[in-house]
Amino acid sequence: MTNHVVRLYAFTGAVLVLFLTWAAVAARPWASHAAAKADPRWAALAAREHRLRHEALVVQRVVARRWRVYRVRLAARQRAISTAVRRHQQQLAAARAAAAAAAASYASAPSYSAPSSGGYSAPAAPSVRVVTLPPVTITRTS
Amino acid sequence: MILTRTFRAMGTDVELFLAADPGPASDAALYAAEREFERVEALLSRFRPDSELSALNRDGHVAAGEDLLTVVELALEARERTNGRFDPTVHDALVGAGYDRTFEEVAREGASSGGGGRCGGEVTVDRARGSIRLEPGIHVDLGGIGKGYTVDRAAAILSSAGPALVDAGGDIAALGRPDALGWRVGIETAEDTLTLALEDAAVATSGRDRRHWRRDGEERHHLIDPSTGRPADADLVRVTVVERTAVEADVLAKSLFLAGEAGATAEATALGLPCVLVTADGRTVIAGGLS
Repeated sequence: MTNHVVRLYAFTGAVLVLFLTWAAVAARPWASHAAAKADPRWAALAAREHRLRHEALVVQRVVARRWRVYRVRLAARQRAISTAVRRHQQQLAAARAAAAAAAASYASAPSYSAPSSGGYSAPAAPSVRVVTLPPVTITRTS
Repeated sequence: MILTRTFRAMGTDVELFLAADPGPASDAALYAAEREFERVEALLSRFRPDSELSALNRDGHVAAGEDLLTVVELALEARERTNGRFDPTVHDALVGAGYDRTFEEVAREGASSGGGGRCGGEVTVDRARGSIRLEPGIHVDLGGIGKGYTVDRAAAILSSAGPALVDAGGDIAALGRPDALGWRVGIETAEDTLTLALEDAAVATSGRDRRHWRRDGEERHHLIDPSTGRPADADLVRVTVVERTAVEADVLAKSLFLAGEAGATAEATALGLPCVLVTADGRTVIAGGLS
């Protein structure tokens, strides 16, 4: 009975010693913190992060500057387009008014007569002669 | 500077030429001339069911506007002057020959109608009441004169902005002159092209070399001889006439075509009417003092 208790205490003590030894080894007390910080990969990553942050700032500044220039040019272009559209509409209105006036003046003629308008009065006989120059247009059969 | 505008109207390509500087005035004139084609075509086309002419042919009478009254009066006057060789009542004969749709459709699909048509019916114009009445069974086609009328009107409108030329297929009107020589217009002869310098003149060409089709194995064309009600069997292929207006040139070109080579030559010489005839055997005859 006494031997049995002793063996149990011995076994429990051995297990405890084994656990503590495992914990001590797992903690790697011989590996210093300074050595970990000195890993060149960490340093490279940190440097790269710093460089990327700096480049991002530069890109943001370039984009902001270009955006300002674009907005200024866009405003100028929109002003030019508005001016051109306004001028075109004025020309179109003038052309429509002149066309309406021309059509109205011709339509008011009381009856059909030889075409004479705008200072070009048709003579009694047509003026025609044969020439050797190239034609403006060639008549087709109707 | 010669400004141009091209568009399609009355079944043909229309070209406007204006000797003027670009600007609102020239733009307005070109625009107004094009609109004039659209306006008159909407009134005088027999292929548009809503035209005044279609209403006249459908009902036998119509309260006509100024344009239809004028063109019908001109056509009836031309019938008198040409002893019936030009006749606006060839409508049924044209339909009988197969020209019952726009020419593009006739050429594409082939003619399908049958029978001839009676010509020379009575057409009464009452200008006081603004109405036209047709003899029962008679229908009117103004294709032989309507385009010339429109060309004259468009040329007059265009000439408000400068010397102008309107070319609508076989009908040309030239008002003023763009330079010392005048408007140069090419006339197709049997061999080549003859160039005429025109000022305040019009040219019309009528012939059977373009608007023709086959029906029942027989060649048909749109120039109807009112005395037979059938396509004219003339010894000419094409007649070009120079006159003061496109309406007059249009009428006389058709009349001379029906007269045949001998008759047309004699008539043109007697009238001093400049004309170019192309015969069926491939000769070119120039008459009427043209030199």
